[in-house]
Parts: sequence; structure tokens; C-alpha cells
Amino acid sequence: MASSIQYDRAKVVDDAFQAKVLEGSFPKARTSLSLNDVPVKAHLLVELFESQISSRLMDIRARELKNENRCFYTIGSSGHEGNAVFGEVFRPSDMAFLHYRSGAFMLHRGKKLPGHTGLYNMALSLAASEDDPISGGRHKVFGSKELNIPPQTSTIASHLPKAVGAALSIARARDLEVQAELKDDGVVLCSFGDASLNHATAQSAFNTASWVAYKNFPVPIVFICEDNGVGISVPTPDNWVERNFENRLEIRYFQADGLNILDTIRATREAERYVRMRRRPAFLHMKTVRLLGHAGSDPEWSYHNFDRIEAAEAQDPLLHTARILIENNILSQGQILDLYKDTKERIRHITEVACERPKITDPKRIKESLTACKNKRIAPPIPKKLQNKKFTDTPQHMAKLINRGLHDIMLRYKNTLLFGEDVAKKGGVYNVTTGLQDEFTPRRVFNSPLDETSILGTAIGMAHNGFVPIPEIQFLAYVHNAEDQIRGEAATLPFFSEGRYTNPMVIRIPGLAYQKGFGGHFHNDNSLAVFRDIPGLILAVPSNGADAVRMMRTAVREAHENGRVTVFVEPIALYMTKDLFDEGDKGWSFNYPEPEEESKIGELKVYGEQGSTVILTYGNGLYHSLKAQKKLKEERQKDVKVIDLQWLAPLNWDNILKEVAGAKKILIVDECRKTGSLAEGLLSGLIERLPYPPQIKILAAEDCFIPLGVAAASGLPQPESIYGALK
Amino acid sequence: MKKRIVVVCPGRGSYTKDTLGYLKNGPNIDSFLKDLDDRRKAIGDPDITGLDASSTFKSSVHTKGEHASPLIYACAYSDFQSIDQEQYEIVAICGNSMGWYLTLAFSESLDWEGSFNLIQTMGGMMRSELIGVQFIYPIVDEDWKLNSDRLKHIQDSLIDGVYISIKLGGYLVLAGEKEACKTMMARLEKVGDYPFQLINHGAFHTPLLQFVSDAGFEALPQSLFKTPKVPIIDGRGHIWRPHSTSTEDLRDYTLRHQVLETYDFSKSIEVALKEFAPDQIMLLGPGNSLGGVIGQCLIENTWKGITDKDSFQAQQKSNHPMLKSMGLI
Repeated sequence: MASSIQYDRAKVVDDAFQAKVLEGSFPKARTSLSLNDVPVKAHLLVELFESQISSRLMDIRARELKNENRCFYTIGSSGHEGNAVFGEVFRPSDMAFLHYRSGAFMLHRGKKLPGHTGLYNMALSLAASEDDPISGGRHKVFGSKELNIPPQTSTIASHLPKAVGAALSIARARDLEVQAELKDDGVVLCSFGDASLNHATAQSAFNTASWVAYKNFPVPIVFICEDNGVGISVPTPDNWVERNFENRLEIRYFQADGLNILDTIRATREAERYVRMRRRPAFLHMKTVRLLGHAGSDPEWSYHNFDRIEAAEAQDPLLHTARILIENNILSQGQILDLYKDTKERIRHITEVACERPKITDPKRIKESLTACKNKRIAPPIPKKLQNKKFTDTPQHMAKLINRGLHDIMLRYKNTLLFGEDVAKKGGVYNVTTGLQDEFTPRRVFNSPLDETSILGTAIGMAHNGFVPIPEIQFLAYVHNAEDQIRGEAATLPFFSEGRYTNPMVIRIPGLAYQKGFGGHFHNDNSLAVFRDIPGLILAVPSNGADAVRMMRTAVREAHENGRVTVFVEPIALYMTKDLFDEGDKGWSFNYPEPEEESKIGELKVYGEQGSTVILTYGNGLYHSLKAQKKLKEERQKDVKVIDLQWLAPLNWDNILKEVAGAKKILIVDECRKTGSLAEGLLSGLIERLPYPPQIKILAAEDCFIPLGVAAASGLPQPESIYGALK
Repeated sequence: MKKRIVVVCPGRGSYTKDTLGYLKNGPNIDSFLKDLDDRRKAIGDPDITGLDASSTFKSSVHTKGEHASPLIYACAYSDFQSIDQEQYEIVAICGNSMGWYLTLAFSESLDWEGSFNLIQTMGGMMRSELIGVQFIYPIVDEDWKLNSDRLKHIQDSLIDGVYISIKLGGYLVLAGEKEACKTMMARLEKVGDYPFQLINHGAFHTPLLQFVSDAGFEALPQSLFKTPKVPIIDGRGHIWRPHSTSTEDLRDYTLRHQVLETYDFSKSIEVALKEFAPDQIMLLGPGNSLGGVIGQCLIENTWKGITDKDSFQAQQKSNHPMLKSMGLI
């Protein structure tokens, strides 16, 4: 046997299909469905078969091109070609968040849109060509704006939470009359593998869908689990998926034999009908096989013996479909072989052309899509009647000003939603959202389940459908539970789609240290490192209420108009702070800014005259630096210029360099842990940019978690330590 | 190895005074012509052989739908027959406007009789009175690259009663009610001879032709329509394949959407290029009126390095021209 073992499984499968069709040697049907039982028309079965063949041959061709170093992606769809049926049964207007084995689905859905060039587009994507109409050659994704398929790599099931959010958004958009992408009777599809469903993100999505349906809210989503029984080399325990999902609360289970196209049509139609009519979630379990290994680079024989590999290949879904077509006298063996050979030749020619198309190489062009937006909107006018009796025009602290700012934003932007843990009736832990639910109804201001992944996923999905969500993560430390929803999903969407898709939002996060009497790391986390390296993300940290309002307005407008994602970190310790230097001086209470006032992204706030010493800081650091500034002036007659950076990413270096020009000493006051801090970035940035750098010092928090009680602020920059660093 | 070609069938404007006598130079298709002439005689129309052999080109005769359509059919058929099947493999067929009917005929989506019925019936629908008018206007510059300002100018000038009839490479063909078209033509900035009204052309591919669609359904039964023998690409860019075509859908498209909605010839060429990657496009005669248009489509898709008129013409002079116009040979 050893001599007959072939390691090129793509060729083995390719040859076997043709040989078995010629011989009339087909795998036995596992179900006894007939065409009339389903029912389905003959021409439609052939159309599906064509999509299946095209997907398979594209996989095989990708392997050949990879060997020639002309293709850069070989994770294929072989064995999963039954998913062509989803392209047939669901409408092209039903948004689909896809598994990376969705080749047949993509090709088949494309046929529903006349003029769509699915094979060519896929070839461009494999060749990483600049002409790839979704990512422009930046990444191999399954995506298409015209087919309502947001680009996806789906490597870690991180797309499931946003799919739930998109499903949730449908009825909400209709009720709130928001201009939506999805149709009122639309459903959302979300496919993934049997291994992926074990991810925490996947579980979060199932739980959220179940939770929402349990509360009787519509959530029309079909979770499609394409179960091939193995995750790379790790087998899924027998019956793991069905036992797990047969009785999941509020999620109806459907099962399909993914090898048998008739059974897949039957089950998919049932699932589709259930979700579209009932507006409740379904779990469609498609059992199939995986062929050609996990990817081109995966030597399957290193963990599966050849008997097992061949057993899977013997169940090739294309052979099953060929059998059905022959049994029903729809196509002859010869016609199937001709179709296969013609398609192979056609794909060879198409890929030859695609490989010659230009590649994207210019780093500047590559980066352009980080913030690209091809669906720009214009901000609605500021309503004339903003005044509300409950707001007074006296100087207020930050929590009250943000509350009023959010109120006016929600009045102006009808597509904004505010949600998170405790934000509704309770008004948030710090009353920042107090009264907003009463004013704007529970449809726009609502509590989420206690799951940060769900909150951010919901926001992303809602943003796919016309909304500008303003989700709240209750404390900065909690975001780490769900950071990939920002890092891997929200921030990458415009990059993978050249701005064809965006998920505009403003993520509010109360955070940072210095809280008195409410200590401990989880409520005082002081690190922003997790946001600083995410390309395209805007990071805003206001230091007082008036600036917070101005900055929030900018962030929401940028989201609405340009599709941007902003993380808006509100320093908790400053929420209720009214005074600056002395008790009762109201130095940190501010008037509500005029409605049209905004803070431009990258705008710095400068305190004090030009001196030879400059402090660069933000948030609580500003507050404490201003105290030190005063003391230095009074006690040392030293003029210190204090700069509030406000917008921490992207940094506006032009503005920063202008303000530090001529300084003999720069002190960077950073309330966050030093390692990975903004201070380190500023230091290296200044050294890199200044021909003759002055003395630069960092005064940052200790690399330690925040302790409880009186020790809470002990490792943090204080007015005294700032003063000490500059005296 | 055979050369893989996409065959493009010409539209209504392709028979001109320059193509008079076209059939004389083609292969022997006497039996086809005899049948055609007999069928025409049976309905009291002049024979095609005679029209083509006329000593003079009469606009009032040669460009009328009931004569022009079968004339062009015969000429294109002649060219189609002369394609050397040993040398070329036809991977797909498409056409412009009435070229869709020829596409159906040559792909055997209609049999001989069905083809005649469709072409003659649809071509003669406005025998007694022409409904509406059709005019053409460029959207490209002299180098055949898209002029966005001009496109916007057209869009801004569109008025009620005028529709986009055909997307035709570097041109838009507009059609609609006579008065509305007249008004719009007056509004459009003059570019050479354009806007140019097409003689004996009605408001094809617009809702004005609802009666044509209705009459088509009356006259052309489902039984005429078969599945194509080779893939065909319609005026939306949809591909109809030999084994997966619903003949009900094919008839419905042909007699409804195709008659009433914009015919996107540019899209059909784009799909032909991208989804079949042919070695060559073979444009059937008579004439070469779609030659430049196809060149403009190649430019629009920056196909094989063709980015403007000069590079198209240079490529055409190379050993492997992307476009072969049988009407020029």
C-alpha cells in the first residue's frame, strides 16, 4: 500500500472524482429523499452542482498556484460544498457572516445577482490582487458589498457576536425608522465550524441570542455549523454538536446531511422558514467531511492515517450530488465529466488572468483603507430645541456634562443607541446615563447581559445596519474580556473592505485610577496599552466635562459621517470632581459648551504661557499637573506649560512638536502603568523627531495593579511628585 | 490547442450602406437563406437575399425593424457559420440589444423556426408606427477613457420620459418619448455629432415598450425556448448555462426585462472577460459598429494592459489581437 500512498490529496480527490463518475461508482445515499420529496427542480440542482464543482476546482487550482508561488491562500472549502444550498435558499439581501470554507456559498449567491463575477473575484482574492473587489488585495476574505457579505476571516469565531447584533438591529431599525441596510423581513446567516463553536466568542453569541429570544425580542439569525468532525487535527467528540444544541434554550435545532444536497435543501428551507417567519434563532447543523486537509500546508497524514483520509474522500459531496443527478436522469456521466473538465479549464484561464493583475505594494495605499469609508453620511443638523428643564446652565462636573452631552447627541442623531450593563434605569454605576432611557425609550437605551463580548458584538452588528451605537463597558478592566471584538473585528472591517463596510461606534469606557474609597484593580485599571496599537482606532481621554462633551460630539460625528470607531475613556475619578486647587473653588466645574462646539481630533489643550518646561499629559494627569503648575509658579516662579493631549491615538505629532518647540525640559505625566504606556510612545516619538531633544522625563504609574484602600493612589503620579520632578 | 473565444452578436444599427452585399462574401448558407426568404415571403415581406443584393441602400427600407433584424440575423449567421470549429472553441455568446435574439439563435436556445419567429416578430413590432426614439451620446473622451463630468452631465440632464436604453461601452444610448428626448438632446452639450438620433430606432429597452413585451408573450410560446448549447450572457450580465437554464426564466427575461429595462452591453462584455477569460472576442458582422465599443469595454476593465484608445489600437495590431471583427474581414 505504501507505494500507492499519494501525498498530493488535491490530485487524489480530483482524479478520484473523474474516475468514479466514469465508472459509475458512487457513495451510497445516507437518506432516502427524492426530488419530489424536497421538492426541487432539475435545473436548480445542476446550478448548485456547478457551484459545488467550481468551488472544488478553485481549491485545487489554488494549491497548484501556491506551488508556483502565485497564490497566497489555500484554506479550502472542499467537503463543505453543500453550503452552496445556503446561497440558494437564503436571499442575497440576507446579510451573511461566513466561515472560511464558504466558497460554494459565495459562488452560488453571486449567481443570484446578474453581472456578478464570482469566479474572477475569488481568483483575484487568492492572488492578493489590488483588483480584489472587497479587500483590494489586503487579505483573503470571503466578502462582497453587493452580496451583503461583510468580509470575514472567521479564524476564531469572533464574527458570531456581531452577527447576533446585526440580527437584533433589523426590527430595531424598522421601529426607529433608521435608514437600514437590511430588509425588514431579512434574516442573518452566520456560519462556522464544529471546532469554532467552542470559542468563548461563539458561546457568547449563542447565549446572547438565547437571552434575547427568551425575553421575546426578535433575533432572526441562523447559526450554521458546518461540522466536518475535526478542528485542524483535533477531533470533535462524536455527537458533540447535536448533544450540545438539540435542546438549547430558545434556539431551534435543525440537522442536514451536508453530503446530500437534497437533504441540505430540505433542512435549510425549514430553518429559513422558521427564522424568517418566527424571527427567532435557529441552529442549522450541517454534517459533512473535510477534504484536502485543513489547508495546503497541513499534512493531514501526520495525524490521520490514510484509511481515515480515504474514508472521508469516499464520501466526497460532489460524488453524492453526481449520483443524485444521474439517478434522476438529469445529467449523464459524460455530461458531468464534460462539465467538470470545462469548468477546470475555465478556472485555469481565469486564474491566469487574475494572477497577472496588479498587486498592492505601496504601504501608504495599504494603510489608506484603515480609515476608509465609501458610504459617507452627513451629520443631521443640530436640533433647535436642545434645552431641557432638567439641565441647568451653572458649571457642572464631568458626569453631569457627559449626561447632558449624550442627551443632546441622542436628540440629534436618531440612529444612536446607548447600551451596556446597568445603563438603563440605574443610569450607570456613576449616573452618567441617568434619565436617558426615560427620555429616549428602552429601544434606544437598554441594559445588556453581563457579557462584554456581547455588548461589543451587538454594537458592531448594529453598526452594520445603519446605527451609530454608543456601547458602554462598565469598567476599563472589563474590556479585556472582549478586546478582540475591537481589535480583530471592529477595527479591521474597513481595512478588509477598503471602507465598503464600516462599523461606526463610540465605545464609552469609564476607567483609570485615583478613585477615592472605591479601590482595587478592577475598578481602577490604569492601562490603555490595549488600544494604542490598534490601527485606525481613535482613542479619546477627556480630562474635564466641557472637553468631554466637545470630544464626544466629534467622536459621534466621525462615526456617523466617516464610519470611525472611537474608544472614549472617561476618567472615573474626575466624574464628580468639582474643585481644582481648593475645596469649593469650582475650578473643575464647567459650563456646558455651545451646541456647535467640537474638539478637533488631535487638538491639544494648552494651559499656561510658554515656558522652558512643558508637561505632556492627559486625563487625571492633567488635573494633577495643573496643581503642580500652580505650585511651581507660586513657590519657584517657574512657568510651566501644561498640555492636555486629549486624543491619544492617533497622536497629532505636528501639534505636539509645535507646542514643545524650544522647551528645555519635557515631563511626560502618565497615570497609566509605565510599561507599554503612552509615555513610552511619546518619549520615543520625541527623540525620533527632535534633532536636538531636550531633557525628557517620564513620570508614570508603577508597573503594578491598583491596591485597595489608602494605598490606592500610592503608585500614581501626584501633584507632589510632578512638582518634585520639575522644581 | 483551440483558441477560446467569446462570440459577440451585433445589434440593430450594424447594417449600413457599407455592408450592402455582405452575404455575397460569406460562406454558402443558401438553404438558410432560402428558408428565411420563404418565411418572409409567406408574411409578405421582401426577401433578405434581395435586400442585401440591392444596388442602393435605402434608409427607409434597410433600417426598418422588420427588415433590418432579419438582414442582420442572416449576415451574423453567415459569419457564425464561418467560424472554424477546429481552430476555435466558443466558450460563450453574447450580443447587443437585438444581438440577444441572435445569441439565443446561435446558442440553439431557439430552433430554426423559433429563431425566425422571435427575430422577425420582435423586429416587426413597430411596423405600423415607431414608438419613441433612441439617441446616443458619448461618456468617454477622445482617448476613450471615461469622462466622469460628461456622465454626470447626462445624469443631471435626464428628464421624465427619457430612460437609459443601452450601456454601450463609451456611449450611453438613451430612449423614450419623442418630445422628452428632443428636449433632453437640446439640453446636452454638443460633442461632435452627438447627441445623435438613431434612424428608425424606437424606445427600445424602456417601459414604453410594454405592448411589445405583451405581444411577445402572446406570439412566442414557451415551447420555442430550449436550453442553450453553450453559455450565453444576457443584457444584465447573467450567465445562462446549458444544463442549468430554466427555459421559463429564459423566456421571461427575453420578453420582459430585456424589452423593458436597460440593456447593459458593457456588463455582458465585462462578464465575458472575467468569467470566461477568452483568448479573443469574436465580433460577428455585418460591419464593425461594435468594435470600438468593445475596445472601450476593454479599456474600462483595463484588460490585458489596454488602458486607452492608443493601447487598444496597438494591441489590435499585435499578433494576438483581443478583438477580431469578422465584419472587417
